[in-house]
Amino acid sequence: MMSIFTIDKVKKTFTNGEVKEEVLKGINLSLAEGEITALVGASGSGKSTLLTIAAGLQPASDGQVLFEGKNINAMNQEQIRQIRASEFGFVFQFAHLVPFLTVEEQLMLMLDVSDSTLKKTEQKREVNRVLQLVGMDHRKNAYPPSLSGGEKQRVAIARAIIHQPKVLFADEPTASLDSKRSKDVMALIRELTKTLNITTLIVTHDEEMLSYADHIIKMSDGLILQNENPELVGRA
Amino acid sequence: MMNLAWKEIKKSKVRFLILGSIVFLVSLLTFIISGLANGLSQDNAALIKDLPNGQFYMDADADETYNLSRIDNSTMEKLLNNEKDATALSIQMGFLNDESDKQQSVAFVTSTDSKLFPHVKSGEVILDRSMEDKGIKVGDTLTNNQFSGEFIVKGFVDQTKFSHAPVAFINIKNYKEIYRVNEMQLVFLLGGDSSQEFAGLQSFSKQDFLNTIPSYSAEQMSLNMIVWFLVVISGLLFAIFFYMMNVQKIGLYGILKAIGLKTSRLFRIMWAQMIFITVPALALSIVLCQVFNRIAPEGMPFSLTMETTATLSLVFLIIGFIGATLSGIQIKKVEPLQAIQQGEM
Repeated sequence: MMSIFTIDKVKKTFTNGEVKEEVLKGINLSLAEGEITALVGASGSGKSTLLTIAAGLQPASDGQVLFEGKNINAMNQEQIRQIRASEFGFVFQFAHLVPFLTVEEQLMLMLDVSDSTLKKTEQKREVNRVLQLVGMDHRKNAYPPSLSGGEKQRVAIARAIIHQPKVLFADEPTASLDSKRSKDVMALIRELTKTLNITTLIVTHDEEMLSYADHIIKMSDGLILQNENPELVGRA
Repeated sequence: MMNLAWKEIKKSKVRFLILGSIVFLVSLLTFIISGLANGLSQDNAALIKDLPNGQFYMDADADETYNLSRIDNSTMEKLLNNEKDATALSIQMGFLNDESDKQQSVAFVTSTDSKLFPHVKSGEVILDRSMEDKGIKVGDTLTNNQFSGEFIVKGFVDQTKFSHAPVAFINIKNYKEIYRVNEMQLVFLLGGDSSQEFAGLQSFSKQDFLNTIPSYSAEQMSLNMIVWFLVVISGLLFAIFFYMMNVQKIGLYGILKAIGLKTSRLFRIMWAQMIFITVPALALSIVLCQVFNRIAPEGMPFSLTMETTATLSLVFLIIGFIGATLSGIQIKKVEPLQAIQQGEM
């Protein structure tokens, strides 16, 4: 499998007054196209920090985050924003939908943000197609407050993939859902990763969800402890 | 581009309606007070305000008080002869007795021949039209206790008041008899400016001269202070409202930033909302003010010109923009990461 995303010797140190805390201690990791890589570990192991650095949501203190050969960690805020808007998709623990937009409008907004070149009618068609994929086309005119937790998360997933991102970042996407809905959501992420050939990096603490991942990276104390596929991972 | 600003207003009608109502009430109050300030100003000094631009001169020893001013006749003659657009005038408060012997308070005004003031022959008087409402008609005979003769009303002029009293234009000869003076108080130089100085005379621009009128500046200052306070309050209202809204939406802003929305677009949404609220609120205020203008009681001095309305509306928009922008500084500070770590909005 080809890797489009490489994390190279990434370190992250937080400074609180005179106290310095090294949360990531030199992480090496490659993500393969069309596969799901799951980051697991105890709370405070650094998995969420690693995901947010990879997604360009915060800078690394040291090291490189290479997306298609370009180091995100060396880019300015506008360059990173452009990549986030057009190449990345995000699913968070909570759906974080825009409360005053309908389901359809949430997806139209994402196409707008990603500077989609599609015409308005084509955009609507694409939105319908993606809503069908996540099984939410029947609720396209609904507002977030009228959706269940599972439905909201499905819409969040649809929003994350509508602009055909190359990488999908999911931070605890099932943490606010019950067991059945969690499985549905993970099955959906897996199906979309495979059919749309997206590279997915997911953070989860739910052991049950790991069966949906292609690779499992166990983290502890800012280091990668174990990887079920050693070819993809280096050690700090 | 998707109109997020309008969509949010539609979905949170009550919230925006409340702000719109407050802006409407504050702007209505501002327009009304401004109308009253302007009306009172007209009532106090329309005689002077409605003159074209020029320079006033009074005796340098008059302590900037026009009714203490006595311009030496030779100085006045020299000035009037040398400056073709100069007019000498005097103003004094007084009384006229109408035909039923009722005293009417007036401001007697007299001037040398000028196109700026009506020409009045001896024994004639031209009054401000407000005297018509008091039952005085053209041809009526009016008297004054200090005047040996009688005044015949020759006509009326519109909106000519001084110190809240209707103006009575009389001939110089009659004026001198009533007030036992031989000198004029003021010289007005049409189109003159402060560069023109004359020995023994103090020069005033029109606005400076208005400020020498007792009560004028005190009255205007208080009312204008209220107007500007209201404008500042409306700016603060915008700042506070959008601050509260932004605090509530920090999570949303963070997520929108995380998915790639530009900070500038978030600002544009806020500005658009500010305009969506302010413009209808101002339009409604302006309409109601015009209605108020028509139904206000006769004696209430109210004057709101389109120019003042447009200026105040523009000031409201600018203040609203500044208020909203200041509160929007939070938007710039929002880190996507913060929002992600927060719970559901």
